[in-house]
Amino acid sequence: MSTEKKSFSRRKFLQRGAIVLGGSVVASYVGCSPMRRFTAQKVESMDLPASISSLKPDFWFEILADNTILLKSPKIEMGQGVWTGLAMMAAEELEVSVDKIKVEHANTGSGLIDNVNTGGSSSTSSLYEPVREVAATMREMLKASAAKQWNVDISAVKTENGILSSGVEKATYGEIAASTKEWDEPKTPTLKPKSAFKIIGKEVKRVDLKPKVMGTAKYTLDSELPDMLYAVLVKSPYLDAIIKSVDSNEATKSAGVVKIVREGNLLAVVAKSFYAADSAAKKVVVEWNTPNKTQQADLIKLVTVGNGKEANIQKEGSAKSILEDNKTEVFRQEYRTPMATHAQMEVNGAIAHVEANKVLIITGSQGPSQVRDVVAKAIDIKKDNIDVHTPLLGGGFGRKAAPGLAAEAAIISKLVGKPIKVYNSRQHEFQNGVYRPNTHHVLQAKMTKDGKVEAITHDQATPDMYVRNMVGEIGLKLLGSDFLSAGHGASLMYNVPNKSVSVWNTDVPIPISIWRAVGMFPNTFAIESFINELAHKAGKDAIDFRLDMLINKDDKIIERSRNVLETLIEKSGWKTPKADGVGRGIAIGNDRKSIAAAAIEVEIIEGKIKVKKVTNVLDMGQIINPEGIKAQIEGCVMMGISATLYEELTVKDGQIEQAYFSQYPLASLSDVPEILSFLLEGDDVPYGVGEPPLSPIAPAIVGAVLNLTGKALRSLPLRLS
Amino acid sequence: MKIDFKLNGKATSIDVDPAMPLLWVVRDELKLTATKFGCGMAMCGACTLHIDGEAIRSCSVPVETIAGKNIITLEGLSESEANLHPIQQAWMEEQVPQCGYCQSGFMMAAAKLIKENPNPTDDDIINGITNICRCGTHPRILKAIKRAAEINNQNH
Repeated sequence: MSTEKKSFSRRKFLQRGAIVLGGSVVASYVGCSPMRRFTAQKVESMDLPASISSLKPDFWFEILADNTILLKSPKIEMGQGVWTGLAMMAAEELEVSVDKIKVEHANTGSGLIDNVNTGGSSSTSSLYEPVREVAATMREMLKASAAKQWNVDISAVKTENGILSSGVEKATYGEIAASTKEWDEPKTPTLKPKSAFKIIGKEVKRVDLKPKVMGTAKYTLDSELPDMLYAVLVKSPYLDAIIKSVDSNEATKSAGVVKIVREGNLLAVVAKSFYAADSAAKKVVVEWNTPNKTQQADLIKLVTVGNGKEANIQKEGSAKSILEDNKTEVFRQEYRTPMATHAQMEVNGAIAHVEANKVLIITGSQGPSQVRDVVAKAIDIKKDNIDVHTPLLGGGFGRKAAPGLAAEAAIISKLVGKPIKVYNSRQHEFQNGVYRPNTHHVLQAKMTKDGKVEAITHDQATPDMYVRNMVGEIGLKLLGSDFLSAGHGASLMYNVPNKSVSVWNTDVPIPISIWRAVGMFPNTFAIESFINELAHKAGKDAIDFRLDMLINKDDKIIERSRNVLETLIEKSGWKTPKADGVGRGIAIGNDRKSIAAAAIEVEIIEGKIKVKKVTNVLDMGQIINPEGIKAQIEGCVMMGISATLYEELTVKDGQIEQAYFSQYPLASLSDVPEILSFLLEGDDVPYGVGEPPLSPIAPAIVGAVLNLTGKALRSLPLRLS
Repeated sequence: MKIDFKLNGKATSIDVDPAMPLLWVVRDELKLTATKFGCGMAMCGACTLHIDGEAIRSCSVPVETIAGKNIITLEGLSESEANLHPIQQAWMEEQVPQCGYCQSGFMMAAAKLIKENPNPTDDDIINGITNICRCGTHPRILKAIKRAAEINNQNH
């Protein structure tokens, strides 16, 4: 039993919700020049990354017969806990407990399409108002209907835990929904003030906890369609390889094989089981043309400051002329971050069923609407005929913002005429993926005699990470460089009278994409490592040194950053004596208004850096789910340690050299430090939590090693010798 | 080839290629999908299940080798939802999973560990479990295993 759906459609708030939902990442990063600001505004209005294509009203909620409420989430659950946050926000206004709300992903065919990928730690903040407003409106509609049926004034109707009541009258939401013929549209209700919150900010269990503990949670690889066949793709370990010839004689004879299909460069074995397809795929003999001959040294050379196109994104005072005045010494350092992969535990996979005028896709993607676009193009079918369903994601981290395998599945399904399930091998994930590109940073500064920073510059060289995907080649040309994603975090937050920041854009012959925290990760590593070195050089405490450059009572970000650092001093025991053999480091970052800082203690054990303790302070504004936030901080600490100490992809002769987990070590149980997490609510709206705590980890570890050994490491992953 | 074994307490018979890895038999033939595919090379542990009480990475076990043996997957770890295995109780209490994909393998490895070692230290756990998690649930996994050991000891 569902609510009378039409009644929602004309609501203004839905449109507003849509706009907020589409509130793209573009707006918040815009740099200095009026031209650039103009361009960014243009980009935002281009109907490209930021619009909702349909506003069909059945998108948000359904009241089910068992008096539970179904919330169809436009944002994708990939472990970050977005379902739980949305359920809490809805439950707050609906006056039900969180366990009365069932969450599932909205499918693209159901109406609302979120044209912005789930990413950028923006889901909860962008839906904070719309979800509560829709929920409150639904509650008022239920109350109004109950009042009419009971012939009482609406003010006499109470709602509590999914029950409407007035005097002796009592009914569940489900009962009222079922007995309502026509809905009255109330005015947009006033939302609860923070002081009245009963759920938001309180402890609840994740809504997806039990299925994940019982093993019943369904991911793409667990999904099925009747009469489905399996396909295994035959790929070259070399980038951009092109099929020269195929000998599939042996493979065709292999048990269970249905067909071997080839369309252009797509080669797949279709069989009755994955095992049969996989066994046969090993027997296919392919000759490849391998035009991509990239070497690691080529990548390093390409991605170097001074190479490519420069876009100046921050300029105050006259930093460059001060640095060039020859009067005092310039402190100059270079930093590098390596290419890396996401290594999410669930490989990319998709199920497609292509019929005459109807396509069903099941795939775990961070961007179902992009999946729909890619499939429409691949098999030349109208978008409206495609319905993309999204199971839970076994990790995303940006990897599943790329198209995945839906197009391949659709092409094969069309050729074979049956539903097809296809997924990558782990080797495919490593060698045929999309990667976090390497970056290069040059930082220069001059300090006064008393150790104050007078002028500072940051030049970042990076390939585009995502802007091209959002605004295309022309958009990237207009912007000059990818300062929106790759250059995110390149700007300097500190009050220094003279500063200048440039992002140098260069293309690399490697498929590039976003990786958790995107530009914040390399930029925070470089900038905060440099700040630690400046403090070290000036003989000052690394936090006090920063606090001296964070003074501006009129700037909320600066004030919140001060508060974060002052809290960190206290909570981490920053100024207490430390044991022999321990180094302490710190770093801070402002990631789209979430301020995250970490104080880290390291030791060097048997010649290896060992992270012993991480104290995190995060000001993410309004807290929705405190335990969920802490889980995200812990995840960021572990991924941060992993990326700082171990992870590096390299290329040789046009081939990614790491093909297995054994060649790409990740942080493990043995790397777990003591982790303390403290949350500050420096604002009354929520900001992101999935990425901001990640970026300070690398520079804080580097700072701790500097503190312990006097040695500044400037290249990831860290190597002591 | 016909192979008989016990799966989660039930007599089971399957007729497949004897070289087929147990992972695919369990997932694709018998439709128990808690056991996950992560790498296919016994490196990540997502496919861990129990064979005669041992925690084994099923992606690299040919099904012919399990004839007559007793296989337990996560679906068969608890007697019932009302009577959860201590590992699953602790996983609920500590809210361990994020994406959840690697958790079945971790829980199966952990269940075996606390059976053998009723009071594991962090070092015992670190040395005993080498599964991979990318979400970074490791800190909670350590806590949950020690909590599960406590629950287990209280029950006995």
